[in-house]
Order: sequence, then structure tokens, then C-alpha cells
Amino acid sequence: MNKRILIVDDSFYMRTMLKNMLTDAGYEVVGEAANGAQALEMAASTEPDLITLDVILPDNTGLDVLKSLRQIQPSAKVVMCSAVGQEVIVTEAIENGAMAYIVKPFSEEKVLEIVGAALQNGASEQTA
Amino acid sequence: MKTRDQEYRELFMAEALEYYDSMSRHLSELERNPNAGPALNELFRLMHNLKANARAMGFTDLGEVAHQLETLFGLIRDKEREFSGALIRVVFAGVDALGSMIRAVGANQPLPDATALLHNLDLVVRGEAPILEEEEAAETEEESNRKMELSDLVYIQVKKLDNLLNLVGELVIDRDRIMTLAQELDNPALLATAQHLFRISDDLQYSVMDARLVGVGVLLNKFPRVVRDVASAEDKEVKLTLSGQDVQIDRNILQIITDALLHLVRNAVSHGLETTENRLKAGKPPIGELTLSAMTERDDVLLQVRDDGRGIDTEAVRRKAIERGLITAKAAPALDEQAVWALLFEPGFSMAQQVTDISGRGVGLDVVKLALDSLGGQLRVDSELGVGTTFTLVLPTSIAVKGALLVEVNERPYAIPLMHTDTVLALHPGQISIVGGVMVTYLHEQSVPLVPLRQLLHDEGDEPLPSAHKSDIEGTQHVLVVNYNSRRLGLIVDRFIRQQNIVIKPLSKPLDTIDLFGGVTLLGSGQVCLVLDVPALSRLFLTKRP
Repeated sequence: MNKRILIVDDSFYMRTMLKNMLTDAGYEVVGEAANGAQALEMAASTEPDLITLDVILPDNTGLDVLKSLRQIQPSAKVVMCSAVGQEVIVTEAIENGAMAYIVKPFSEEKVLEIVGAALQNGASEQTA
Repeated sequence: MKTRDQEYRELFMAEALEYYDSMSRHLSELERNPNAGPALNELFRLMHNLKANARAMGFTDLGEVAHQLETLFGLIRDKEREFSGALIRVVFAGVDALGSMIRAVGANQPLPDATALLHNLDLVVRGEAPILEEEEAAETEEESNRKMELSDLVYIQVKKLDNLLNLVGELVIDRDRIMTLAQELDNPALLATAQHLFRISDDLQYSVMDARLVGVGVLLNKFPRVVRDVASAEDKEVKLTLSGQDVQIDRNILQIITDALLHLVRNAVSHGLETTENRLKAGKPPIGELTLSAMTERDDVLLQVRDDGRGIDTEAVRRKAIERGLITAKAAPALDEQAVWALLFEPGFSMAQQVTDISGRGVGLDVVKLALDSLGGQLRVDSELGVGTTFTLVLPTSIAVKGALLVEVNERPYAIPLMHTDTVLALHPGQISIVGGVMVTYLHEQSVPLVPLRQLLHDEGDEPLPSAHKSDIEGTQHVLVVNYNSRRLGLIVDRFIRQQNIVIKPLSKPLDTIDLFGGVTLLGSGQVCLVLDVPALSRLFLTKRP
């Protein structure tokens, strides 16, 4: 069974790049959400194994979305995605149950490594 | 070449221009109200995204300017800086610079230098005074650069394009009718208008078809991963080469052919290519070569899967086909290489000696044939024992319009898609011989069976077709040689009408069960014309030959 992943990012470009990387690696991307509301809706309907979550989103901050996600879909692993400069938020995110943290711009290897590790054991904080 | 990099570049551009437009909008809001929270949040988010995307694309300076502006808007939002005075001018200069940089990316030009700007941004972020040039000169230049620009790209659902294509199909049929009516009425004004309509709808049709084209690369680029997986499961070393990613094809055709291509590639790695050990024994380089290429040939797109593996063992296929009851032991020796290879694509035929978890599963190469038949495509096989195998999928570029040859039988027109036609011949009775009750002619020193199309169309029941006699052949015979699954068949028709592009409509019930007809098209005269399904005609001839 392929692991099922939901991508949350407000940039179409970023979503496309992540989706290509993940599908090429054999994961199934079950949805792409561009804002917090969509993310919560899709997380409930697609029940993904893992969610990549952008820290900064148009309607909510990624952090609020993370807190709601942990409630409606506690089994889903969450990996935060962010460009540098948002370390404070990320630390808080890890405290709120995010499994790992991917720094943009990311390399394919790093993304796959972090996503793979998060899915496998849910190991502690990882950064790229 | 349209590669994934190019795709990313286009996406980046489209989004960057959108971001730039929104930035300008939010900046004017901020000018009216320096403490507008939502505008500040949005500016912060837009800069953040632009920075991340620019860095991913490798546009360092663009990313750096966006980064500094992001930091600055963060500071303003947190009330640590005020949107006023010199800071405003630096912000505007920054956003203008972003616009120029994005335009430069779009025009494939080097990005303008941002050293002075970055220095000023750095000063403002640290709360120091920026170094500003004389107001006037700078201002006018900025003004002229601040153009309104919307993205050059829109994203459309395939469903909408399908709908558009269907409408164009309807339009083209009516156009042909109007054209014919105009010719009949012989009114010069009407004729001129009809001709204009003809040209415009032709352009429209091709534009719609063009909008549906995508680079084959979007599919081919998925294969490195597939090959890696299959190769490692089979413990083989494979070098994959891709080419022709920029060849354009209809998006739906590519979608339909995906599984077939996946199957051929998996098949090539697990059954075509040998293990490293066996390759060395055979005196070949240890690493197997697999090439996936796309190219255009006339109006068709060719997708080719080539391996330098063991090649097809024709005799083994022949034995297996007899075992599986696909051919009789008596008929088997008569089949040439091509005919034997074609058996690989018959349902239920599988050459796999052992079922691996990659390409076993009891599904044979017949899925390839099914996909191709549904598109009106063709399959070519070329193989040499010990040297390698090449499978070539011949696909139409577009699904809407097909080139067809119109022929007449019993005063009715029939259309035969050009995809399946080889050549047309006018044969004298002397050029036709009778072999075992079947008319045969020789074409390039190969025998081609001939059958009157009339007989196939009017055939009923399970009786074999009547045997042909020399005395039946009177006068010149018009023959259309069709090709299916590497088998040729000459169809004798009353006359050839013309070659024409046709729009094929599916048959409505209850006719859709008659598999000799692939659909129906309307001729300009309004006359209904049946489109013949060459694969079905070939199969009918094979089962019913005398």
C-alpha cells in the first residue's frame, strides 16, 4: 500500500514541485490544499498518512491549522514546510505535535528522507 | 525542449506575476492606511512565498530582495518599524525591482543588479537611514516600469477542453454542410462567406486541438523511478535514456496510453533485459540499456521502448501460442516473425517463465493492444535474438479529427482511418492469383490477401466466406491495403472517393454493438458515413477466410 499524503501550501508552484517529488517516489498524493480551511476539509475526507504543512497560509497561520489537524486527524503525521526566517513558529509547531520540519528551498533527497523517516517511526525533530 | 524544469519555470512565472500584482494592490492600501493589518499580513505572506519559490528556482537575488521585504513587513506588522518616510521609498523601490526581476525571468534575460537596493533594505531592516538618490530621476523610471501585468498562463480543467472540442466537432460538421449547400445553390456571396467560415472554423479547430497538447515529457519523466524500482526488484542494472520529451500530444491520449507504456517498460526490464551475469556471459556490457523516446512521424506520434536485451525468442513464442491454443500446430510454421510477435499481444498470452511481483499478475501485453485499439493506434515490434527488442506505439496526435480515406461500396460511402491504411492499388486481373480459395496479390514480394469489402460488410452467420474464383475477377480492381497488428489485408472497393479529415461520433444504440464500425461521421452533403474499424475487419477476415 502506498502511503497517502496531503500537501498544504498556498503556492501552486511549491505544491507542484512537492507533488512531483512525492509521486515520483511512489507516494500517493491524495490532495492539495491552498489554505487552512481546505486543509482541514481535505484532511477529514482523505484521511492521509502524512500532511506537509506550510507555516504561512492565507486564512489561518499554519500553526492554527496544525492544532486543528491534530484534533481531527490525530493519526496523521505532520511535517512542517517553511522558508528560513520562521524558526520561532517551527519550534512551536514541533511542540504542538509536528513530526519534522523541512526548510525551503528543499532538495528532493531531503524531502524524501524526512517524509520517509516521519512515516516510518515518527522519529523526533528532523530538520533539513 | 519542454522539460520539467521548463514547466516549473512557467509555473513560477505565472505565480510570481500574480504575487507582484497583489503586492502592488496591498501597497496602495498600506499607503492609505499604514496600519492595515490584513494588507501587512498578505504582503508578508506574498514575500515569503516569492522568496521560497525564487530560491527553489535558483534566482538568488530575487529571493534575497523578497526575503528582506518579508522581514521588513514582519517588523512593520509587529510595530517595530513604521510605514513612513524613507522606508516607503525603499519598499516601493524593492517591489519595483521585484517586478523587473520577474519580467527578466520571463524574457529569459539576466536579472538586473540589486546590490544598492539590497544594501538599502539591509539598512532599513536594521533601523538605519537608507542612502537615497535624487528623487526625480529615480521616480520617473520607476513609474514607467510599474506596468499592469497579468499572468500569461491560466489553468483549465481538461473537462472544459473536452467540452470545447466536442462543440468544435459539431461546428465542423455543420460547416461542411453549409459549404456543400453553398456550392449547390451557386450563390457567389454565400460561397465566399462559406469559404471564410471554413477557414475560420478550421483555425478554431486546430487552436482547440493545440490547447490540449502537452509534452510527452510529463509522462516520460515518471519513468526513471519506475525503472529503478523494477530493476532493483529484479536485481538488474539498467541505464535509462529518455528523449523527445518535447513532442506534443493530446493530453487524453497520453492518459489512455499511460498503463500500456508502464507495462511495456516493466516488461522490458523484467523479461527483455538479462541479469548482469547473463549479459557478461553473452559478451555484452554489464549494464542493460533501455531507451524511451518520442518522435513525430507525419501526423502521428511514435513512442518507442527499446532495450538491448535478449530479444524475442520467436520459436518459443510459436510453441507457447500452440500450447495456449491461439494457433493450431498446423498453421504455426507458416506464420512469419512479425505474425508470431503479434501473438504476444493476444489476450492470455504471457511469456514470463516465473511470476515476479513486478510484471507478473497474470496480465499480459494485451492491455497494450486494447489501449491502442481504443485510440486507433498501431503497434510495431522489431526484435533480434540476443540483440534487443523495440516496441513502437503509433499514436494519433489528436483524438478529434482523423484523416480518413472515403471509399464507395454498393453506392454507399465508408470512411477508413488513414492510421490503418498502407497503400491503394489498381490491379489487373492478371496481378491477382487464387491461393486456397483466397485472392492474393504480391506487394514488395510479400503476399497480401484480398477480399471484397462488400463480402465482409454483408457477412452473416458462422459460414466461412465464399471461395474466390478466377472468373469472378472482372476488370480493374480497386484495392485499399490496410494494416493491422503487422498483418496486411487488401480490401476491394467499388471506387475511391477522396481523402478527408473527419470528425468521428460514437454510434448510438443499437448500432454500437456492431463492431465492424468504429463510429459515424457526417459528410458535407449531410450523408451519413460509417467509419470502418480496421482491427475488427481484419479479425473477421481471419476467422472467416475460406
